[in-house]
Amino acid sequence: MIGCLRRISAVAGNTFLEAVRQKVFAVLLVFALVLIGGANYFTEFSFQEQFKFLKDLGYAAISLTGLLVGLLGAAQLIPGEIERRTILTALCRPLRRWEFVVGKYFGLTTYLALMVVIMALAVWGVLGWKEGQFLRAEGLDSETAATIRAEAMDPRLLQAVLLVGAKLAVVAALAVFFSTIATSTTFVMAMTLLVYLIGHLQSVAREQWLETGEVTRWTVRIFLAGVALLVPDFNLYNLIDEIVAGNVVVWRTTLEVLGYSGVYIGVLLAAAACMFEGRDI
Amino acid sequence: MGWFRGRVLALEGLEMEVHKGEVFGLLGPNGSGKSTAMKMILGLLRPTSGSAEVCGFRAGTIAARRQIGFLPENPYFPIFLSGAELVRYYGRLSGLGGAGLEKRVKELLELVRLGGEAGKRPLRTYSKGMLQRAGLAGALVGDPEILMLDEPTAGVDPAGSREIRDLILELKARGKTVIFSSHLLEQVEDVADRVIILHRGKKLREGRLEDLLTRKNEWEVKVQGLPEGDRQELLAWMKKKGGQVVREGAPRERLEDYFLRSLPEETRR
Amino acid sequence: MKPIAAVAGALVLLLAWGGAKIPWEKAMARDQRKATYGFSGPTTVAIREKVGQGLALAALGGFRGLAANALMLQAHGAWEEQQWVRVRSALELATMLQPRVAVFWDTASWHLAWNAAVAAEKYSGESSETKRKIEARRWVEAGRDLLERGTKAVPEKALLFQRLGDLYWQRLGDYQEAARCYREALSKGDAPPYLERFVGYALEKAGDKQGALEYFKDLRREMGDAPSQVRRPEVVEREITRLEKETAEKRVRKIK
Repeated sequence: MIGCLRRISAVAGNTFLEAVRQKVFAVLLVFALVLIGGANYFTEFSFQEQFKFLKDLGYAAISLTGLLVGLLGAAQLIPGEIERRTILTALCRPLRRWEFVVGKYFGLTTYLALMVVIMALAVWGVLGWKEGQFLRAEGLDSETAATIRAEAMDPRLLQAVLLVGAKLAVVAALAVFFSTIATSTTFVMAMTLLVYLIGHLQSVAREQWLETGEVTRWTVRIFLAGVALLVPDFNLYNLIDEIVAGNVVVWRTTLEVLGYSGVYIGVLLAAAACMFEGRDI
Repeated sequence: MGWFRGRVLALEGLEMEVHKGEVFGLLGPNGSGKSTAMKMILGLLRPTSGSAEVCGFRAGTIAARRQIGFLPENPYFPIFLSGAELVRYYGRLSGLGGAGLEKRVKELLELVRLGGEAGKRPLRTYSKGMLQRAGLAGALVGDPEILMLDEPTAGVDPAGSREIRDLILELKARGKTVIFSSHLLEQVEDVADRVIILHRGKKLREGRLEDLLTRKNEWEVKVQGLPEGDRQELLAWMKKKGGQVVREGAPRERLEDYFLRSLPEETRR
Repeated sequence: MKPIAAVAGALVLLLAWGGAKIPWEKAMARDQRKATYGFSGPTTVAIREKVGQGLALAALGGFRGLAANALMLQAHGAWEEQQWVRVRSALELATMLQPRVAVFWDTASWHLAWNAAVAAEKYSGESSETKRKIEARRWVEAGRDLLERGTKAVPEKALLFQRLGDLYWQRLGDYQEAARCYREALSKGDAPPYLERFVGYALEKAGDKQGALEYFKDLRREMGDAPSQVRRPEVVEREITRLEKETAEKRVRKIK
């Protein structure tokens, strides 16, 4: 057991260090600049709208950056190692293939989590700065001030960060899965991106497939069934929009989506490990 | 590699046996199937038919892999690590940890002569020979019975090659079994006990170097201090006895030995 | 493991989980729809027809918020150029993309029922005053209809009901409806305290002084003995006194 954890954490740690060496800080810096620049742009609007713009921009930037890093990083994980032949020195150890896959995944997601946390802190920082600007402008009259504070330092934003993180973790698991079956990094990225986009339509496909009414051609039904069964429902993460809109989202709903993400990741990693067992190196 | 590439017959009908404690050489030109054979023993590739056993365990199982330390051809290591960190990483990949691992790392670095400051420098500052030795330390960290080396001296200068060969002999003295492949035949000759010769996936020859290389009906003597006149007498006597003198004259030193002798003491390391 | 076994194993795993996850996804989607009163936004298929490709892709990628914000920016730009039709279409798209954002409906109705209407009445090129007034009225009604839709999309918040009340009061002169809207807003729990008094004022403006008086009395009673100062009990008491005097005078005049 200890040996198993040691092996997984060795792979994870090494993957994490390699990810850190990518030109990440430049990306983060660009992000932070976009955010702060963006925050200044919408000054003609009411403070609610400005906060909304800021939060939307922030979460979109986190999602987009996370998506890119996840795609590029995950595509490197296995095909990249095979290309560089570093995988030989790892797999000839008394290391099980599934431990390798799991370690790779956790290395990548630890790195992604770190990025998300840093970016989330940047968003909060800018929100706080904006809050200060508004409070100075509107004066500390109790009602508006209370609303401003509530919008800026909304504790529900934590739920939003967790949801963004969970979504990215699922995408990373998808990328790891594809990287066990492909040899080309481009293929891995393309497939993952495709599934990511289709995932936002999965609920439509699911409803169309299950309600027999509209669709009768069996080829289309098989396609819809395939999408419904094999693709995650990314619309479940739209709770983020609700949180940004300032509406109530209870923790139970968020936790359920997080649980779904966790199980999905487990299944994808198991499938990836399975595929990897059968693969020649 | 991969799922949908065409299949190539890399090895056909290979039967091979390696005994404990010997140094075994896999010889053959490029593309003869040496690397394929090694990967199958390690379980990285699956044979289409047939089987392999390592120390009684089926090849590819965790138990079998625990018995083998492998250094692939032209390995790429994570170059941002130092030598010591590399060995530590491979140790942890083998499930080791804690103080035991630290001790082992230190011992191995000393063995491959990368102890002290050399071990702390990042791998990207290492020469090819140093990289190979670091890789060797990494391969040994799990204390395996068998060491498999794929072209261990490829791209290494003569001094570095000599060091690696010395290490192989040292490991043999410690009771390890070493299997290595090379197409640099002189280097194999120095260390191997038995060899197998492959060509286009098939085994051509196998056996102890002694048996294979000895020309049994010839006899070689190196003599010092015999004056010129007596030499001629000896030659005549041998002819009278029915022997045919194949070659006589001053023996030639190998270029490699001459080269190494010429370098000052420090640069040989 | 043979490759065929590996592929089969992975496929079995994915399909088995696929079958298991569908009812879970359905349940979660249903819960989320309930929590958002059915207004989580239309599917991307419906959006695609109305919106440009770039925005549709953004919506598809889960960046719906950005697409809606972009549309609000478009509306703002069109407003600066007094292009009211463009303002309206951008606003309708934004609220269609993100119906759960109360502040969008708020801004949208403001642009239609106030800005566009005033522009139509005072600044359009139309010479006939009647025609201008009719045009203005149309914009106000457009704003009202939008806001009515908004109250259905975000029924748990006071904001849009309050705005609707303001619209009825300021733009349509329908004070009874204004009072009704304010009451509805107050029932949500997050209405500003001053709105309580506005119900009374609206009733009075609607001509129902007696009703207003009853309302203020009930309100003061409901405040209790130690009311929070934020609710301005002294103002309510002042109104009660004033209305009592005025309704008494009215009765006296009637009797006379």
